[in-house]
Amino acid sequence: MLRRNVRLRKEYLYRKNLEGDERQLYEKKRKIREALQEGKPIPTELRNEEAKLRQEIDLEDQNTAVPRSHIDDEYANATQKEPKILLTTSRDPSAPLTRFVKELNIVFPNAVKLNRGGQVISEIIETARSHDFTDVIFVSENRGKPDGLIISHLPFGPTAYFQLLNVVTRHEIQTKKEMGKMSEQYPHLIFERFTTQMGKRVMNILKHIFPVPKLDAKRIVTFSNESDYISFRNHMYDKGEGGPKSIELKEVGPRFELRLYQVKLGTLEQDEAEVEWVLRPYMNTAKKRQFLGE
Amino acid sequence: MAAAVVKDSGFEALEKLKSTEPPVFLAPSSISEVARVASQYLFAKLKPHDPKSPFDELLVDGFDAEQIWQQIDMQSQPLLSSLRCEVKRFAKNPREVRKTENLAHGDSHEDDVDEMDMDGLDLDDDNADEDDDAELEANESEGEEEEEDGEEEEDEEDDEEENEGIEDKFFKIKDLEDFLEEGEAQEYGIDRKTKKAMPKVKKQNFSDDDEDEEDDEDDEEDEDGEFGAFDGEDNEESDKLGKARYEDFFGGKKKETKMKMKHVIDDEEAGNGNQGNENLSTHEKELLKLQSKIDQMEKANLDPKHWTMQGEVTATKRPKNSALEVDLDFEHNARPPPVITEEVTASLEDMIKSRIIEARFDDVQRAPSLPTKSKREAKELDDNKSKKGLAEVYEEEYVQKSNPSFAPATFSDELKKEASMLFKKLCLKLDALSHFHFTPKPVIEEMSIQTNVPAIAMEEVAPVAVSDAAMLAPEEIFSGTGKIKDESELTQEERKRRRATKKRKFRAESAKQPVKKARDTTTSTEMSKNGNE
Repeated sequence: MLRRNVRLRKEYLYRKNLEGDERQLYEKKRKIREALQEGKPIPTELRNEEAKLRQEIDLEDQNTAVPRSHIDDEYANATQKEPKILLTTSRDPSAPLTRFVKELNIVFPNAVKLNRGGQVISEIIETARSHDFTDVIFVSENRGKPDGLIISHLPFGPTAYFQLLNVVTRHEIQTKKEMGKMSEQYPHLIFERFTTQMGKRVMNILKHIFPVPKLDAKRIVTFSNESDYISFRNHMYDKGEGGPKSIELKEVGPRFELRLYQVKLGTLEQDEAEVEWVLRPYMNTAKKRQFLGE
Repeated sequence: MAAAVVKDSGFEALEKLKSTEPPVFLAPSSISEVARVASQYLFAKLKPHDPKSPFDELLVDGFDAEQIWQQIDMQSQPLLSSLRCEVKRFAKNPREVRKTENLAHGDSHEDDVDEMDMDGLDLDDDNADEDDDAELEANESEGEEEEEDGEEEEDEEDDEEENEGIEDKFFKIKDLEDFLEEGEAQEYGIDRKTKKAMPKVKKQNFSDDDEDEEDDEDDEEDEDGEFGAFDGEDNEESDKLGKARYEDFFGGKKKETKMKMKHVIDDEEAGNGNQGNENLSTHEKELLKLQSKIDQMEKANLDPKHWTMQGEVTATKRPKNSALEVDLDFEHNARPPPVITEEVTASLEDMIKSRIIEARFDDVQRAPSLPTKSKREAKELDDNKSKKGLAEVYEEEYVQKSNPSFAPATFSDELKKEASMLFKKLCLKLDALSHFHFTPKPVIEEMSIQTNVPAIAMEEVAPVAVSDAAMLAPEEIFSGTGKIKDESELTQEERKRRRATKKRKFRAESAKQPVKKARDTTTSTEMSKNGNE
């Protein structure tokens, strides 16, 4: 298990290295293709390699035409396997935090809750890997209010660190009787305004926590991005009385805002992993820039 | 008797003290006894003027300096207040003073105190000396005062004699000079006795220091030094005594300013003497203000800075809760987290609804998996009633088993055959399109008409679509036995025989079918056609 992991990691790093060269090649091919399509002369810098590249272009198919980045390699096989999630908290969780984690347990299908106890993070992740979990989610708190969420994709995948804001749990809204039971159907997903490269990456990370739903599922989970703050909502819908166009939405489940502040190219226990992206709020232009979309 | 003894010996003791060299006081010696006796004498002298004193005489045997001082102090304190009253009284009634003055000259030491008072009240400056004495009594030990008293008296007398009939101012000037000289002598002579312009407090401290410094023996040590100090004090004391006195003692002011300036430049004394404290020019006033401001600012600069001005300050370095009082203002570089209002939720829900209606979700798409096995042949079950009877079915099975070649093709076989045929044809066509790697036509066993076309027609430069295998073989063109003889090889009989058979055939053919001829013609026409091509 250990050696396999080491080998996989080496492959991953090797592919990452190749990526740079591949991208260059891709760019050149793209230029030639464009030139050929528009009937313009081929750019002079590519004249020497033109013949060889044209050959390669001819032999391209759908898979090879797009340059493969090591980043999305992590999710290449994710679609073939159903996700399995492990939920834990920081050490010594308070009662509100444990309640919140229980709710999250229901929100994410195929999730398993684990009491933290005195375990070290590396231990937790090792056990998760050996039991074939695909994701581990950590929730941390500050004086009863959940304030941090860490999603770590498992084989050696990326880790996304979020800050939780404006958390409203189901327990806060209503008494137990009125709450009723929450559906555990595989939900449909809605992602709104994730337009940039980073936004698409985050979308990928959040998407692959959920399994493939049925077409007629009534449950909807929404991630809506508004100036880098992602709103999470959980609804059940029903056809309304007004006809096929009217929909009745009923909000169910906790709601919170997520704010991404770091993405690392490694699992949670790998401190030395490369940081793919980190939020820098102290820059002068921080107010004007939006990283996740529009 | 004892008092008289004390008196005499005390006087002698005083005289002796006065005559001893100052260094003697510094080392412990028998002079301490003398000093004690002298103090006792002085104490006894003052006793009549202080009815409240608990001591009849100064107790010196077996007491240390501190205790002796305390006794003297106890006597002097009430005396001070009474003396002040006396002075005030005499200030109001100067004539009384004059009366008592004359009496003073001939009096013994016992009247010293009265004399001093009277002299102090005099408007002349010399009486200021007496004020000094009064001052002395107020501030200093009794012993010292008494000592000075004796000496001063002599000075007073001298001065008195000169002053009679002379204007005050004039006299003041002279006195001024004396005073200045004394001051100079003092300054350069003894370092310990510092400036005369010192305020009273300092002088007091100074005198306190003196007191502290002195040991039991050194009661009278400061006596000489104190003179000048007393003079200085005198001026201030006189200032305090009343406005009338202060105005009259115009010279006193001069003296003070002189004293200040003396240390700077001696030549400017005369000029500065014209300025009094009340007559500062505006320039002077401004200068003073500036100076005070400068002093303030310098002081502020020397102090440690306020914590807000100290750069990076942690909570431990500033006082508690001080950050709450200061108005802190800084730019927040991050956008604030969104407040979730009704409108926000409503807009969100609208968006969700529209998405649902469009059925536009961002679900995870399952990737199409590659088939690892080919699909099993799905045998179609025919619902129709079987057309064959059961016997026929058995028959076919038997035939298939025994003789596979004769078995009629089953339905699936026929389909298979058709499919394979189609495929082969397709492959052939594809191969034919390419010259370079041409594979020959596969042998399909079927009946096909072969034309009797000469080979030369077939072999052409154009792409050969038909091979010469489609041509008739020579055997097929010429049918006959192997033995073929040429005409030249024939014998006569052979020739006759051939002619005969030929004739026979010809007659038979022409008699039976004239169609045969048509066939020949067709062949000939075909031959001509092919030839033309």
